[in-house]
Amino acid sequence: MKITRDEAKRIADLAHLAFDDAALDRMASEMTKILTYIDQLAEVELEANVGQASDCPTPLRDDTIASQPADPARNAPEWDNGYFVVPKVIGE
Amino acid sequence: MSDPRELVGASLRAIAELNPRLNAVLRVNENAPAGTPIAVKDNIVTTDMPTTCGSRILPDFVSPFDATAVARLRASGWSIVAKTNLDEFAMGSSTEHSAFGVTRNPWNLDCVAGGSSGGSAAAVAARMVPAALGSETGGSVRQPAAFCGVVGLKPTYGRVSRNGLVAFASGLDQIGIVTKTVRECADLLGVIAGHDPLDSTSSTEPVGDYAADVDAGVRGLRFGVVREAVEKLDGEVRSNFDAALDVLRAGGATVEDASVPTIGYAIAIYYIVANAEASANLSRFDGVRYGHRSARARTLRELYFQSRGEGFGDEVKRRIMLGTFALSAGYYDSYYGRAQAVRERMRGDFAAAFRRFDYLLTPTTPEAAFRIGAKTGDPLSMYLSDIFTAPANLVGIPAIAVPSGFSRQRLPLSLQIMAPHFGESALFRAAGFFERETGHWREAPPVS
Repeated sequence: MKITRDEAKRIADLAHLAFDDAALDRMASEMTKILTYIDQLAEVELEANVGQASDCPTPLRDDTIASQPADPARNAPEWDNGYFVVPKVIGE
Repeated sequence: MSDPRELVGASLRAIAELNPRLNAVLRVNENAPAGTPIAVKDNIVTTDMPTTCGSRILPDFVSPFDATAVARLRASGWSIVAKTNLDEFAMGSSTEHSAFGVTRNPWNLDCVAGGSSGGSAAAVAARMVPAALGSETGGSVRQPAAFCGVVGLKPTYGRVSRNGLVAFASGLDQIGIVTKTVRECADLLGVIAGHDPLDSTSSTEPVGDYAADVDAGVRGLRFGVVREAVEKLDGEVRSNFDAALDVLRAGGATVEDASVPTIGYAIAIYYIVANAEASANLSRFDGVRYGHRSARARTLRELYFQSRGEGFGDEVKRRIMLGTFALSAGYYDSYYGRAQAVRERMRGDFAAAFRRFDYLLTPTTPEAAFRIGAKTGDPLSMYLSDIFTAPANLVGIPAIAVPSGFSRQRLPLSLQIMAPHFGESALFRAAGFFERETGHWREAPPVS
């Protein structure tokens, strides 16, 4: 699978990652090499039973609030009177 | 020296003396309470020390709660004396991807300690602490344990609560244990294992007396050698592995060829499944609620892109990119869907092999510890370090790495033993026998 620079840019936008041009070219080249290796999965013959659910049940809990609220201000980059502060969103 | 206050003091002194050469520890708690000292990988949260995940995106994060495994340790008289170095967000096989510098191997300072729990493995090998917690997604406890000549356990998926382990790939992640001996490992698993209401994937399977069979021997037990994994091996890893098989045979076990035809696809599956999950899990690091926030951002979009661009290292970005690609429109079925389907087939292959055998065997790693810098320019070659360890994560079974001798360069080699789901007691039985017969755990590295 060949990843072009345009394709790498599209993925970086989806992933919310900023790259400069040189880093984007390097990323496209490394992804191409790794995905070419991964493409060997296409050679595996798959049987009809694929996609069956696991036989281990997932325990479910009641959907109630149980844990104590943490102090979110302590680790917040910017905090004001009970709110996380971010740059203006509307009308930016 | 059994006074718990003196044990903590001795551990802190050993860290102060050795860490400038090894960089195994990122932070110590000089005020650690009396107890049996233990170090914890720095992606497992603690209230009394920051948790960095080896990343610049979390420079000063202090968790408001202890991870469940940490809380259970404290309640059982263990004292958390240090947080250990790791590849950023546990993504790597050499601890070279830590934002805080590489961890060096106590057997040879020019070599890597393995990863991603390289700090935990080096700290135990160098006798800084008697035990450490690490975490596993594709071999991140067993591979560094192998490189450093110590015991490394990946428990069954769900055996140990992941509450408070910073998520990398939630369907694979599991807290693991590094110790010098098998019995210490078994005792420690008994402390941290068990259901936790705060982790819905933690199992309700009863916690066993894991050390009960450590001395029981291997007479009559059936070991399968995974043919597809070892047939291309040669050199000293192969001869060391063959010698390990002879030790088991001499103990009365049967050792025969086993087949897991899909095992060679483990790395290809792993780098789709793990990275897909990672790309979702790491979206929470956005500069809004905690962690690094870019000072250059003027809009909310810039805040996301710049904070993540500045905070994450190259390997983490590479994996987020691969995972985002594998989940994106047009590629989901051919990459993520196919990887999960082949993984399911591998699960079937393992189940079939375990109908014939009590255990499956491979070397833990295809080579001894490599030199620092040898693989950083070639991500794929680094990924292949985990070729024997990743299958156990993909199928959810427990596996243990136990020292099996040394290379000609005097670097540790390691035997991997795998067992069916929740077969930890059986693992400790086989590993305990092998350790007793070979005694490699007694040898300390030059830096210790």
